[in-house]
Amino acid sequence: MEGLAGVASGDARVLMSEDHDRRAAEMRLVRAAQQGDLLAFERLYRDNERKVFGLCFRLSSDPALAEELTQEVFVRAWRKLSSFRGESAFSSWLYPLTLNVARSERRSRGRRDARIVATEDPERLERTPRTPAPEAGFDLEKAIAALPKGARAVFVLHDVEGRTHEEIAALLTIAPGTSKAQLFRARRLLREALVS
Amino acid sequence: MTCHELDERLDDWVDGALAGAEAQAVESHLAGCASCRERERQLRQLLAHAAALPRSLAPPRDLWPGIAERIERGSAWSALWTSWHPLALAAAVVLGLAALLWNDVGPTAVRTVAMPSASPSLRPVADTAVADPVLAAAAREYEAAATALLQALQRRRGVLPPEDLARVEANLEVIDRALEEVRQALVKDPASPELNRMLVATHRKKVDVLRRVVRLSTAL
Repeated sequence: MEGLAGVASGDARVLMSEDHDRRAAEMRLVRAAQQGDLLAFERLYRDNERKVFGLCFRLSSDPALAEELTQEVFVRAWRKLSSFRGESAFSSWLYPLTLNVARSERRSRGRRDARIVATEDPERLERTPRTPAPEAGFDLEKAIAALPKGARAVFVLHDVEGRTHEEIAALLTIAPGTSKAQLFRARRLLREALVS
Repeated sequence: MTCHELDERLDDWVDGALAGAEAQAVESHLAGCASCRERERQLRQLLAHAAALPRSLAPPRDLWPGIAERIERGSAWSALWTSWHPLALAAAVVLGLAALLWNDVGPTAVRTVAMPSASPSLRPVADTAVADPVLAAAAREYEAAATALLQALQRRRGVLPPEDLARVEANLEVIDRALEEVRQALVKDPASPELNRMLVATHRKKVDVLRRVVRLSTAL
Protein backbone atom coordinates (compact mmCIF):
# COMPACT_ATOMS: atom_id res chain seq x y z
CA MET A 1 0.00 0.00 0.00
CA GLU A 2 2.84 2.32 0.80
CA GLY A 3 4.23 1.59 -2.63
CA LEU A 4 0.91 2.52 -4.29
CA ALA A 5 0.60 5.62 -2.17
CA GLY A 6 4.11 6.57 -3.15
CA VAL A 7 3.29 6.11 -6.84
CA ALA A 8 0.07 8.11 -6.44
CA SER A 9 1.96 10.81 -4.62
CA GLY A 10 4.57 10.84 -7.37
CA ASP A 11 1.86 11.09 -10.04
CA ALA A 12 0.28 14.01 -8.19
CA ARG A 13 3.65 15.76 -8.07
CA VAL A 14 4.08 15.21 -11.83
CA LEU A 15 0.59 16.54 -12.50
CA MET A 16 1.18 19.59 -10.30
CA SER A 17 4.47 20.19 -12.00
CA GLU A 18 2.86 19.92 -15.45
CA ASP A 19 0.12 22.32 -14.37
CA HIS A 20 2.71 24.75 -13.05
CA ASP A 21 4.65 24.56 -16.32
CA ARG A 22 1.48 25.09 -18.34
CA ARG A 23 0.50 28.14 -16.28
CA ALA A 24 4.02 29.55 -16.56
CA ALA A 25 3.99 29.09 -20.36
CA GLU A 26 0.56 30.69 -20.51
CA MET A 27 1.73 33.65 -18.44
CA ARG A 28 4.69 34.14 -20.79
CA LEU A 29 2.23 34.33 -23.68
CA VAL A 30 0.04 36.77 -21.77
CA ARG A 31 3.01 39.03 -20.97
CA ALA A 32 4.10 38.99 -24.61
CA ALA A 33 0.55 39.78 -25.71
CA GLN A 34 0.37 42.60 -23.15
CA GLN A 35 3.41 44.05 -24.91
CA GLY A 36 1.48 43.98 -28.21
CA ASP A 37 2.60 40.58 -29.54
CA LEU A 38 -0.37 39.47 -31.64
CA LEU A 39 1.16 36.07 -32.38
CA ALA A 40 1.29 35.34 -28.66
CA PHE A 41 -2.33 36.37 -28.35
CA GLU A 42 -3.21 34.06 -31.24
CA ARG A 43 -1.69 31.18 -29.26
CA LEU A 44 -3.89 32.12 -26.30
CA TYR A 45 -6.85 32.23 -28.67
CA ARG A 46 -6.05 28.79 -30.09
CA ASP A 47 -5.80 27.36 -26.58
CA ASN A 48 -9.18 28.74 -25.53
CA GLU A 49 -11.35 29.11 -28.64
CA ARG A 50 -13.23 25.82 -28.15
CA LYS A 51 -14.23 26.55 -24.58
CA VAL A 52 -15.35 30.06 -25.43
CA PHE A 53 -17.18 29.01 -28.59
CA GLY A 54 -18.83 26.11 -26.76
CA LEU A 55 -20.20 28.40 -24.08
CA CYS A 56 -21.25 31.05 -26.61
CA PHE A 57 -22.99 28.41 -28.71
CA ARG A 58 -24.93 26.96 -25.79
CA LEU A 59 -25.92 30.37 -24.46
CA SER A 60 -26.99 31.74 -27.83
CA SER A 61 -28.24 28.53 -29.52
CA ASP A 62 -27.14 30.03 -32.81
CA PRO A 63 -23.91 28.95 -34.53
CA ALA A 64 -23.49 32.15 -36.54
CA LEU A 65 -24.14 34.32 -33.50
CA ALA A 66 -21.80 32.13 -31.44
CA GLU A 67 -19.03 32.83 -33.97
CA GLU A 68 -19.63 36.55 -33.65
CA LEU A 69 -19.75 36.41 -29.86
CA THR A 70 -16.52 34.40 -29.75
CA GLN A 71 -14.75 36.99 -31.88
CA GLU A 72 -16.10 39.77 -29.68
CA VAL A 73 -14.84 37.98 -26.55
CA PHE A 74 -11.28 37.84 -27.87
CA VAL A 75 -11.31 41.41 -29.21
CA ARG A 76 -12.43 42.61 -25.77
CA ALA A 77 -9.90 40.32 -24.10
CA TRP A 78 -7.14 41.95 -26.14
CA ARG A 79 -8.30 45.41 -25.07
CA LYS A 80 -8.56 44.42 -21.39
CA LEU A 81 -5.44 42.27 -21.34
CA SER A 82 -3.50 44.75 -19.23
CA SER A 83 -5.88 43.98 -16.33
CA PHE A 84 -4.95 40.27 -16.32
CA ARG A 85 -2.45 39.68 -13.51
CA GLY A 86 -2.14 35.90 -13.72
CA GLU A 87 -3.94 35.24 -10.42
CA SER A 88 -6.07 32.66 -12.22
CA ALA A 89 -5.84 30.66 -15.43
CA PHE A 90 -6.41 32.71 -18.55
CA SER A 91 -9.51 30.59 -19.28
CA SER A 92 -10.95 31.53 -15.86
CA TRP A 93 -10.34 35.19 -16.64
CA LEU A 94 -12.12 34.76 -19.99
CA TYR A 95 -15.17 33.11 -18.41
CA PRO A 96 -17.01 36.17 -16.99
CA LEU A 97 -15.94 38.14 -20.04
CA THR A 98 -17.61 35.53 -22.24
CA LEU A 99 -20.78 35.67 -20.18
CA ASN A 100 -20.86 39.47 -20.38
CA VAL A 101 -20.49 39.37 -24.14
CA ALA A 102 -23.14 36.66 -24.47
CA ARG A 103 -25.52 38.75 -22.37
CA SER A 104 -25.24 41.57 -24.90
CA GLU A 105 -26.51 39.06 -27.46
CA ARG A 106 -29.45 41.17 -28.49
CA ARG A 107 -27.22 44.04 -29.60
CA SER A 108 -24.88 41.67 -31.39
CA ARG A 109 -27.78 39.98 -33.12
CA GLY A 110 -28.73 43.28 -34.74
CA ARG A 111 -25.25 43.67 -36.20
CA ARG A 112 -25.24 40.07 -37.38
CA ASP A 113 -28.57 40.47 -39.15
CA ALA A 114 -27.14 43.46 -40.95
CA ARG A 115 -24.18 41.40 -42.08
CA ILE A 116 -26.22 38.41 -43.27
CA VAL A 117 -27.51 40.53 -46.14
CA ALA A 118 -23.98 41.32 -47.24
CA THR A 119 -22.37 37.91 -46.86
CA GLU A 120 -21.29 36.13 -50.03
CA ASP A 121 -21.81 32.75 -48.40
CA PRO A 122 -25.24 32.69 -46.74
CA GLU A 123 -25.15 28.90 -46.41
CA ARG A 124 -22.25 29.24 -43.98
CA LEU A 125 -24.63 30.84 -41.51
CA GLU A 126 -26.79 27.72 -41.57
CA ARG A 127 -23.95 25.33 -40.80
CA THR A 128 -23.87 24.03 -37.29
CA PRO A 129 -20.67 23.45 -35.36
CA ARG A 130 -19.41 19.96 -34.74
CA THR A 131 -22.04 18.96 -32.20
CA PRO A 132 -21.87 15.70 -30.28
CA ALA A 133 -23.32 12.55 -31.79
CA PRO A 134 -27.07 12.08 -31.34
CA GLU A 135 -26.63 9.32 -28.79
CA ALA A 136 -24.60 11.68 -26.64
CA GLY A 137 -27.44 14.15 -26.39
CA PHE A 138 -28.33 15.69 -29.76
CA ASP A 139 -31.98 16.01 -28.77
CA LEU A 140 -30.91 17.57 -25.51
CA GLU A 141 -28.98 20.24 -27.43
CA LYS A 142 -32.14 21.11 -29.33
CA ALA A 143 -34.21 21.10 -26.17
CA ILE A 144 -31.68 23.39 -24.44
CA ALA A 145 -31.83 25.74 -27.43
CA ALA A 146 -35.61 25.98 -27.05
CA LEU A 147 -35.41 27.06 -23.38
CA PRO A 148 -36.18 30.64 -22.34
CA LYS A 149 -32.98 32.71 -22.25
CA GLY A 150 -32.60 33.06 -18.46
CA ALA A 151 -33.44 29.41 -17.74
CA ARG A 152 -31.09 28.29 -20.51
CA ALA A 153 -28.17 30.30 -19.16
CA VAL A 154 -28.56 28.89 -15.64
CA PHE A 155 -29.06 25.31 -16.88
CA VAL A 156 -25.94 25.51 -19.07
CA LEU A 157 -23.85 26.97 -16.27
CA HIS A 158 -25.09 24.57 -13.58
CA ASP A 159 -25.79 21.25 -15.27
CA VAL A 160 -23.41 21.42 -18.24
CA GLU A 161 -20.56 23.57 -16.92
CA GLY A 162 -20.87 22.39 -13.32
CA ARG A 163 -21.02 25.81 -11.64
CA THR A 164 -22.67 26.29 -8.25
CA HIS A 165 -25.65 28.57 -7.66
CA GLU A 166 -23.38 30.97 -5.77
CA GLU A 167 -20.97 31.17 -8.70
CA ILE A 168 -23.82 31.60 -11.18
CA ALA A 169 -25.36 34.32 -9.04
CA ALA A 170 -22.06 36.23 -9.05
CA LEU A 171 -21.47 35.71 -12.77
CA LEU A 172 -24.97 36.70 -13.87
CA THR A 173 -25.50 39.28 -11.09
CA ILE A 174 -28.67 37.57 -9.89
CA ALA A 175 -29.68 36.20 -6.48
CA PRO A 176 -28.77 32.56 -5.74
CA GLY A 177 -32.48 31.90 -5.21
CA THR A 178 -33.21 33.19 -8.71
CA SER A 179 -30.55 30.90 -10.09
CA LYS A 180 -32.14 27.95 -8.33
CA ALA A 181 -35.65 28.84 -9.52
CA GLN A 182 -34.45 29.23 -13.11
CA LEU A 183 -32.64 25.89 -12.95
CA PHE A 184 -35.70 24.04 -11.72
CA ARG A 185 -37.81 25.72 -14.40
CA ALA A 186 -35.32 24.68 -17.07
CA ARG A 187 -35.19 21.08 -15.85
CA ARG A 188 -38.97 20.86 -15.75
CA LEU A 189 -39.26 22.19 -19.30
CA LEU A 190 -36.54 19.81 -20.50
CA ARG A 191 -38.13 16.81 -18.89
CA GLU A 192 -41.43 17.70 -20.56
CA ALA A 193 -39.69 18.17 -23.91
CA LEU A 194 -37.76 14.93 -23.71
CA VAL A 195 -40.80 12.88 -22.65
CA SER A 196 -43.07 14.29 -25.36
CA MET B 1 -45.61 13.21 1.58
CA THR B 2 -47.76 13.60 -1.52
CA CYS B 3 -46.53 13.21 -5.12
CA HIS B 4 -46.91 16.98 -5.57
CA GLU B 5 -44.79 17.66 -2.48
CA LEU B 6 -42.18 15.23 -3.72
CA ASP B 7 -42.14 16.89 -7.13
CA GLU B 8 -41.30 20.20 -5.44
CA ARG B 9 -38.32 18.58 -3.69
CA LEU B 10 -37.12 16.35 -6.50
CA ASP B 11 -34.47 18.74 -7.82
CA ASP B 12 -33.02 19.31 -4.37
CA TRP B 13 -33.10 15.54 -3.82
CA VAL B 14 -31.11 14.65 -6.93
CA ASP B 15 -28.73 17.56 -6.24
CA GLY B 16 -28.07 16.10 -2.80
CA ALA B 17 -29.32 19.26 -1.14
CA LEU B 18 -31.78 17.54 1.23
CA ALA B 19 -30.83 16.18 4.63
CA GLY B 20 -32.35 14.70 7.76
CA ALA B 21 -36.09 14.25 7.97
CA GLU B 22 -36.75 15.76 4.54
CA ALA B 23 -34.40 13.33 2.84
CA GLN B 24 -35.94 10.40 4.71
CA ALA B 25 -39.46 11.49 3.70
CA VAL B 26 -38.47 11.67 0.04
CA GLU B 27 -36.71 8.32 0.20
CA SER B 28 -39.70 6.74 1.85
CA HIS B 29 -42.13 8.17 -0.73
CA LEU B 30 -39.98 7.03 -3.65
CA ALA B 31 -39.83 3.51 -2.24
CA GLY B 32 -43.60 3.22 -2.47
CA CYS B 33 -44.43 5.28 -5.59
CA ALA B 34 -43.54 3.96 -9.05
CA SER B 35 -44.56 7.13 -10.95
CA CYS B 36 -42.36 9.32 -8.75
CA ARG B 37 -39.50 6.86 -9.16
CA GLU B 38 -39.94 7.18 -12.93
CA ARG B 39 -39.79 11.01 -12.64
CA GLU B 40 -36.67 10.70 -10.55
CA ARG B 41 -35.12 8.35 -13.14
CA GLN B 42 -35.93 10.77 -15.97
CA LEU B 43 -34.41 13.68 -14.11
CA ARG B 44 -31.23 11.77 -13.28
CA GLN B 45 -30.97 10.67 -16.91
CA LEU B 46 -31.40 14.26 -18.06
CA LEU B 47 -28.67 15.47 -15.71
CA ALA B 48 -26.35 12.67 -16.80
CA HIS B 49 -26.84 13.67 -20.44
CA ALA B 50 -26.24 17.32 -19.65
CA ALA B 51 -23.07 16.56 -17.73
CA ALA B 52 -21.86 14.41 -20.64
CA LEU B 53 -22.21 17.23 -23.17
CA PRO B 54 -18.78 18.47 -24.25
CA ARG B 55 -17.93 21.85 -22.78
CA SER B 56 -15.69 22.64 -25.72
CA LEU B 57 -16.91 22.89 -29.28
CA ALA B 58 -14.84 23.66 -32.36
CA PRO B 59 -16.06 26.67 -34.33
CA PRO B 60 -17.11 25.67 -37.85
CA ARG B 61 -14.47 28.00 -39.35
CA ASP B 62 -11.30 29.76 -38.31
CA LEU B 63 -12.40 32.87 -36.42
CA TRP B 64 -8.89 34.23 -35.83
CA PRO B 65 -8.50 36.25 -39.09
CA GLY B 66 -11.59 38.29 -38.18
CA ILE B 67 -10.32 38.82 -34.64
CA ALA B 68 -6.85 39.85 -35.82
CA GLU B 69 -8.34 42.25 -38.37
CA ARG B 70 -10.48 43.94 -35.72
CA ILE B 71 -7.60 44.16 -33.30
CA GLU B 72 -5.28 45.68 -35.90
CA ARG B 73 -7.93 48.12 -37.06
CA GLY B 74 -8.59 49.12 -33.46
CA SER B 75 -4.87 49.62 -32.87
CA ALA B 76 -4.64 51.90 -35.90
CA TRP B 77 -7.48 54.05 -34.62
CA SER B 78 -6.05 54.00 -31.14
CA ALA B 79 -2.69 55.20 -32.45
CA LEU B 80 -4.39 57.98 -34.36
CA TRP B 81 -6.39 58.98 -31.30
CA THR B 82 -3.27 58.96 -29.13
CA SER B 83 -1.45 61.27 -31.50
CA TRP B 84 -4.52 63.29 -32.23
CA HIS B 85 -5.70 63.79 -28.69
CA PRO B 86 -2.95 66.36 -27.94
CA LEU B 87 -4.11 68.26 -31.01
CA ALA B 88 -7.60 68.48 -29.58
CA LEU B 89 -6.08 69.65 -26.32
CA ALA B 90 -3.99 72.16 -28.22
CA ALA B 91 -7.11 73.40 -29.92
CA ALA B 92 -8.75 73.80 -26.54
CA VAL B 93 -5.71 75.77 -25.35
CA VAL B 94 -5.96 77.94 -28.46
CA LEU B 95 -9.59 78.49 -27.64
CA GLY B 96 -8.69 79.58 -24.13
CA LEU B 97 -5.87 81.84 -25.27
CA ALA B 98 -8.13 83.42 -27.85
CA ALA B 99 -10.70 84.09 -25.18
CA LEU B 100 -8.01 85.73 -23.04
CA LEU B 101 -6.84 87.87 -25.94
CA TRP B 102 -10.42 88.76 -26.71
CA ASN B 103 -10.92 89.89 -23.16
CA ASP B 104 -7.75 92.01 -23.41
CA VAL B 105 -8.92 93.86 -26.48
CA GLY B 106 -12.67 93.57 -26.38
CA PRO B 107 -15.57 94.23 -24.10
CA THR B 108 -15.46 92.75 -20.62
CA ALA B 109 -19.09 91.74 -20.67
CA VAL B 110 -19.84 88.03 -20.66
CA ARG B 111 -20.55 86.83 -24.15
CA THR B 112 -21.74 83.60 -25.63
CA VAL B 113 -19.90 81.60 -28.23
CA ALA B 114 -21.92 80.56 -31.24
CA MET B 115 -21.92 76.79 -31.11
CA PRO B 116 -21.86 74.76 -34.30
CA SER B 117 -25.22 73.72 -35.67
CA ALA B 118 -26.85 70.52 -34.50
CA SER B 119 -25.32 68.59 -37.37
CA PRO B 120 -21.78 67.42 -36.62
CA SER B 121 -18.90 69.53 -37.73
CA LEU B 122 -17.91 67.75 -40.91
CA ARG B 123 -18.11 71.07 -42.69
CA PRO B 124 -15.70 73.93 -43.42
CA VAL B 125 -15.55 76.94 -41.11
CA ALA B 126 -16.11 80.46 -42.37
CA ASP B 127 -13.25 82.49 -43.79
CA THR B 128 -11.43 84.78 -41.43
CA ALA B 129 -10.09 88.27 -41.45
CA VAL B 130 -6.31 88.05 -41.40
CA ALA B 131 -4.28 91.22 -41.78
CA ASP B 132 -0.96 89.68 -42.80
CA PRO B 133 -1.30 88.91 -46.55
CA VAL B 134 1.07 85.93 -46.37
CA LEU B 135 -0.73 84.40 -43.43
CA ALA B 136 -4.08 85.21 -45.03
CA ALA B 137 -3.04 83.27 -48.15
CA ALA B 138 -1.87 80.34 -46.02
CA ALA B 139 -5.15 80.36 -44.11
CA ARG B 140 -7.09 80.30 -47.39
CA GLU B 141 -5.02 77.40 -48.70
CA TYR B 142 -5.54 75.45 -45.51
CA GLU B 143 -9.26 76.12 -45.61
CA ALA B 144 -9.45 74.92 -49.22
CA ALA B 145 -7.52 71.78 -48.31
CA ALA B 146 -9.77 71.21 -45.29
CA THR B 147 -12.86 71.57 -47.48
CA ALA B 148 -11.56 69.02 -49.99
CA LEU B 149 -10.62 66.61 -47.22
CA LEU B 150 -14.00 67.02 -45.51
CA GLN B 151 -15.71 66.17 -48.78
CA ALA B 152 -13.51 63.09 -49.12
CA LEU B 153 -14.32 62.14 -45.55
CA GLN B 154 -18.05 62.60 -46.19
CA ARG B 155 -17.76 60.09 -49.02
CA ARG B 156 -16.03 57.63 -46.66
CA ARG B 157 -18.53 58.01 -43.82
CA GLY B 158 -20.08 54.61 -44.51
CA VAL B 159 -16.85 52.70 -43.92
CA LEU B 160 -15.94 54.38 -40.64
CA PRO B 161 -17.01 52.64 -37.43
CA PRO B 162 -19.74 54.82 -35.85
CA GLU B 163 -17.82 55.31 -32.59
CA ASP B 164 -14.72 56.45 -34.50
CA LEU B 165 -16.78 58.78 -36.68
CA ALA B 166 -18.35 60.28 -33.57
CA ARG B 167 -14.88 60.82 -32.10
CA VAL B 168 -13.68 62.45 -35.32
CA GLU B 169 -16.69 64.73 -35.41
CA ALA B 170 -16.41 65.69 -31.75
CA ASN B 171 -12.77 66.65 -32.12
CA LEU B 172 -13.26 68.53 -35.36
CA GLU B 173 -15.87 70.47 -33.47
CA VAL B 174 -13.28 71.40 -30.84
CA ILE B 175 -10.86 72.58 -33.54
CA ASP B 176 -13.59 74.48 -35.36
CA ARG B 177 -14.58 76.23 -32.16
CA ALA B 178 -10.96 77.23 -31.67
CA LEU B 179 -10.85 78.59 -35.21
CA GLU B 180 -14.06 80.50 -34.64
CA GLU B 181 -12.76 82.02 -31.42
CA VAL B 182 -9.54 83.15 -33.08
CA ARG B 183 -11.46 84.58 -36.01
CA GLN B 184 -13.71 86.59 -33.69
CA ALA B 185 -10.69 87.85 -31.77
CA LEU B 186 -9.08 88.87 -35.08
CA VAL B 187 -12.09 90.98 -35.97
CA LYS B 188 -11.27 93.10 -32.92
CA ASP B 189 -7.51 92.97 -33.32
CA PRO B 190 -6.58 92.06 -36.90
CA ALA B 191 -2.94 93.09 -36.48
CA SER B 192 -2.22 90.79 -33.56
CA PRO B 193 0.69 88.59 -34.67
CA GLU B 194 -0.17 85.99 -32.00
CA LEU B 195 -3.73 85.65 -33.27
CA ASN B 196 -2.59 85.46 -36.89
CA ARG B 197 -0.08 82.71 -36.15
CA MET B 198 -2.61 80.94 -33.97
CA LEU B 199 -5.17 80.90 -36.73
CA VAL B 200 -2.82 79.46 -39.33
CA ALA B 201 -1.44 76.90 -36.88
CA THR B 202 -4.95 75.73 -36.01
CA HIS B 203 -5.84 75.46 -39.69
CA ARG B 204 -2.69 73.41 -40.25
CA LYS B 205 -3.59 71.07 -37.41
CA LYS B 206 -7.07 70.58 -38.75
CA VAL B 207 -5.76 69.75 -42.23
CA ASP B 208 -3.19 67.39 -40.76
CA VAL B 209 -5.81 65.52 -38.76
CA LEU B 210 -8.25 65.36 -41.67
CA ARG B 211 -5.57 64.07 -44.01
CA ARG B 212 -4.69 61.26 -41.63
CA VAL B 213 -8.31 60.34 -41.00
CA VAL B 214 -9.06 60.20 -44.73
CA ARG B 215 -5.92 58.14 -45.35
CA LEU B 216 -6.88 55.72 -42.60
CA SER B 217 -10.51 55.44 -43.70
CA THR B 218 -9.35 54.71 -47.26
CA ALA B 219 -7.31 51.80 -45.93
CA LEU B 220 -10.34 50.22 -44.26
